[in-house]
This record gives sequence, structure tokens and C-alpha cells, in this order.
Amino acid sequence: MSTVLEQIEQQIAKLSTKAVKKNTGNIRTIADGVAKIDGLSDVMYNEMVAFPGGAIGIALNLEESEVGCVILGDVSQLKEGDEVQTTGKLLSVPVGKALLGRVVDALGNPADGKGPIDSKETYPVERIAPGIMARKSVNQPLFTGIMAIDSMIPIGRGQRELIIGDRGTGKTTIAIDTIINQAKINKVGLASGDAKFRPVYSIYVAIGQKSSNVVRTVAALEAAGALEFTVIVAATAADNPANQYIAPYSGAAIGEWFMENGMDALIVYDDLSKHAVAYRQISLILKRPSGREAYPGDVFYLHSRLLERAARLDGKGSLTALPIIETLAGDVSAYIPTNVISITDGQIFLETDLFNQGIRPAVSVGLSVSRVGSSAQIKATKQVGGKLKGELAQFRELAAFAQFGSDLDAKTKAQLDRGARIVELFKQPAFSPSPIELQVSVLFAMQKGFFDPIDAKKVVVAAANMKNFFTTRKDALLTEIRTKAALDKDLEAKLQAACDEWKSGYTA
Amino acid sequence: MAAAAKQIQLLARQLFKLSVVDGVVSPDRVAGVLQYIEKSAPAHSVLALKAYRRLIATELAKCEALVEHAGAVTAPALGAIATSMTKKYGRTITTTTRANPKLLAGLRVRVGDDIYESSVSSQLATLSVSV
Repeated sequence: MSTVLEQIEQQIAKLSTKAVKKNTGNIRTIADGVAKIDGLSDVMYNEMVAFPGGAIGIALNLEESEVGCVILGDVSQLKEGDEVQTTGKLLSVPVGKALLGRVVDALGNPADGKGPIDSKETYPVERIAPGIMARKSVNQPLFTGIMAIDSMIPIGRGQRELIIGDRGTGKTTIAIDTIINQAKINKVGLASGDAKFRPVYSIYVAIGQKSSNVVRTVAALEAAGALEFTVIVAATAADNPANQYIAPYSGAAIGEWFMENGMDALIVYDDLSKHAVAYRQISLILKRPSGREAYPGDVFYLHSRLLERAARLDGKGSLTALPIIETLAGDVSAYIPTNVISITDGQIFLETDLFNQGIRPAVSVGLSVSRVGSSAQIKATKQVGGKLKGELAQFRELAAFAQFGSDLDAKTKAQLDRGARIVELFKQPAFSPSPIELQVSVLFAMQKGFFDPIDAKKVVVAAANMKNFFTTRKDALLTEIRTKAALDKDLEAKLQAACDEWKSGYTA
Repeated sequence: MAAAAKQIQLLARQLFKLSVVDGVVSPDRVAGVLQYIEKSAPAHSVLALKAYRRLIATELAKCEALVEHAGAVTAPALGAIATSMTKKYGRTITTTTRANPKLLAGLRVRVGDDIYESSVSSQLATLSVSV
């Protein structure tokens, strides 16, 4: 009892008796999560403003006679005339490894019912992106586990690669596959005890999505054992636009902590179309001048300042960004898609037609590109898949011509057959990323013509069988490919022998 | 509608500028402005007057220190507050008092948007947050 009283007395003694200065204002109007405030003459741009009842606002519009604030949190208790005060702080979120395996809201508060997050540090939500001198070129691969992407559109650590496509074409699936693959690689790498191994931690930011979708994503990650390496920042469709607007910046701050502390991180923004819509809503309520499609003039800066925060830092870690954009009827030339395409270092374009034909992931080889190119690929992948993109492009062209005539020369027919098999080989079920060594083995078999005698429609089954064969019986060979990361003559001979062994035992 | 609102704000600001002499609101000028409004009756005069009132009230609040207190405040204390605030803000600040038992003990001084508080209630509030 006396100890408790002593504690309180100590706390009272600690409290300063000096007068405390506060800068205050009063709510003039409040609507849709945005408040117009009289007063607050000392407020700074982007400063946190304290509202009654614990709600927090961010000062976004500093005008001559009023301040426009977006409110994060519950606005139902706020009313006209309520007193608000400045805090002198920028909006910050908790960061660190304590967030791994957790679902948090846009402010970093736990949203999964697993109790408080024991985080020691906070990072400001809005930060200036790393400068030119601090950066290093992107040349370390980040494997997605999706064969079509790793072999033709390689992604490097620190890159920004856009995933773009219509609704229901598998954009989120690619992102989730990539997160799952990082977890798989992390587990293998950490178990190997290799001191040089650098795990990749993932951050998935859900913006304006249905809560049920977020639950499904969390369940998929948990089932794959990837949640322990992942932080989920959720600002669902039920959250107010201010939370949806701030969520990707919060996610970026969480990712930056890993990058600044010498670790590698991957961040998925799902999706930036809804983010732009949330920002448009806020801007219109704040009465900012609107431009094309009613978006405010700074909608480009909205995304450029976010995506520029992804980088590979010299002497530190990296932050790789996979923003997602949803198109309407495949129109990549719309306002927001063109903006984000121009900011990022490449895009993975998913086509509805391919998806409906059963080609999944529905990656359009012609429209997809990675501007980092082969510098973010291991040598083994270059050796077996260097010509794949060209071969597929030729196949598409020839396939279009072949529709008009039946007489084809042998060379053209061979190219068509090879192309059809590559397309089949790249089919991959959702949430089952392949390790890079397995991809190399299968692509080697394709390059050496092991799939040529197999009917094109049965290539998927044959490839699955081959993967199973390599995983269960050639583990040592796969480990050698993974560690060497290049195919020398010895490895090629071993792969050839393994493929021969598979072929002798496989019946279509 | 947006254009009208802009015009109202512009008119209110012009009237406000006319009402200030050497950084201080002049009662004579305010009376003159009110007479002008009554005579000319500009469009949206009620809204313009409301906007004008807000600007004048904000300006007047900057020149007045509202001292809320729980318990008695002596005249020398008020004088010291007025002198200190005048020095701090670089303009003549007068004091007015208002009893506020919710403070429990101590003072709260409001000048414009700024509040200086040294009261038991605020310290208890800080304590409740920190415990």
C-alpha cells in the first residue's frame, strides 16, 4: 500500500509546476473524417493534432483563417466547437521486429486481438526518401517463386515493380506468393546457419480492401508459415479515408526500419488505385483544386514520394516495393496507372484473357518488363532462361500468323510447339512458389528438350512430376545449384543425368 | 456557391483591414464599417458580417488575456500577467478574469489561441495519462 503511495508521490514530484503552453483551436466544421479548425496559429504542416477523446488528426491544409485536418480514429464523438490542440510532433508509428506476425492498423495499433505490441522505437510516417549518394545499384535478386517472373521479369532487392491488371486477374496472389517465398527462403537460410544469409521481412499493406479479403490473406500467410516474417498493415474499406491515405506511409516507415538497420524488407501496397481514390476524397472535402478525373494536382507526388522510399542503401539494407494497381478493362493508359508505371522500375501486367484461358499467373510477357533486367538474376537462371522472353514473344507472333494458314514449315512448327510448352510450363497454382533451384532444373529440362516428346496439354502434370522427383530424390543437387548459383560443366552433367533418370521413369 | 463564399471572405477581410489601426481594432472604425454595411447592404451581408465578426473576435482575443482562476487572484498578480504577456507578444494586452472552480487550484491564461496553464486539474490530468 505504502509503496503504491510512494510511487504516486514520486510521480507528483516529477511533474513540473511550471506553466504549460498549449496552442489550441476549435472545430468549425467536421465531415467525412475531415475537420476545419479555427485557431491553431502555431500548427505545422503534417503535425499531429490532439482531438478530444483521444482521436488524432493531421494538419494538411494551413490556410489564412483555418486549418484543415484529417482525423484518424473514431470521429463519432467529435462535434462543432470542441477544443483541439497542437502536439508539436509528427505522426509516428511503432517499428521493429516486435511487429512481425501482427496485424496493425494505419497508426500501428494492434488489430488482431493478440495484445499490445512491445515496440521500443517509432518512426515518422512521412519521411524524405534516401538521397542519391546513400543509394546503391540494385543487383541482388529477390525471388518471387513464380517461374514466369523470376526467369523473364526478375526483381531485385530495392526495386519498385508494379503489379497491374484488371480485377480478379491474380495481382494479390502474386504478391502473397512472393511473401510466402521469402518466408520459405528465410527458413532454409536461417536453418543453414550461413552467416552471410540476409532474410527478407515482408510488409503487406491492405488499402481500402474488404475485411474478408484481409482475413483470407492473413489465413493464407499463416497456413504457409509466412506470417512470422510478415507485418500486415490494414486500412480496410470500413476505415475512414484518412486511415486509408496514411496506411501505405505507415507501412513504408515499418519497412524503413528494417532497411536502416541493415536488413532487407519487401513491401506490398495493395492497392494504390484505392489509395488515390481515398486521397481524392480527402482533397475534395478539403476543397483543394481538382484536376484530371477530379484527382488533386499532387496525386503524382502522392505516389512518387511513397515509392521513392524503396531503395537499396549503401552499407545498410534494402526495401523492395511491389505496388498494385487495378485497371479498368485493361486500360494501362488511364491517369493513375500511367503515373505509377512512370515511377516504378518495371511492371508485371496481368491479362484477363490469359487468366480466362487458364494461363495462371496471367502474366503478359509482351507488356511486362523489369528495368533492372538481368543484373538482378543469378547466373544459373540467365543460363537456362536468358532466351525465354524472346522465344515466347516469337511464339505469340507466330501463333497469330498460324491462325491464318495451315501449311507451316518444320522450323515454325518447332517454334510453336516449344512456345506452347513454355506457356504450359509457366502455369503455377496459387500459393505454391517454387524455389529458384527447382526453377533452374525445370527450365534446364525445357532447354534440353525433355518436354518436347510430351503432349503440350500434359506438360503441367509432367513438370509437377519432375519437381516432385527433384525435391524428393535430388535434394543434394538442388542444394548445390542453390549454393553455386551458376551452372558449371559438372553441374550441367549432373542435371542432364538427373533429367535422364526422370525421363526413364516417367510415363505420360 | 464556392465563388460567393470566396467573395464573402474577401469582403469580410477588407472590412477587417479597415477596422484595424496600428495593429489594434478601433471601435470607431468598427462602427463605421457597420454603418456602411447597413447603408449599402451588400449581397450576403449576414454571412459577410458573421465572417467579419469572427475576424474581429480573433483579433480582440489576441489583445486580451483571459485569466481563469480557482481561488482569489490579486491585482498585482493580474498586473504582472499583463506586463509579462505584453512583453512576450509585443502588443498591449489587458486582462479579464473568470472564476473556474474546475481548475481546483491555480491559473489558466488564454491569449488568442495560446493557453498557459498551471493548475492542479491539468497536473492531475497529466498524472492520469502517465500512470
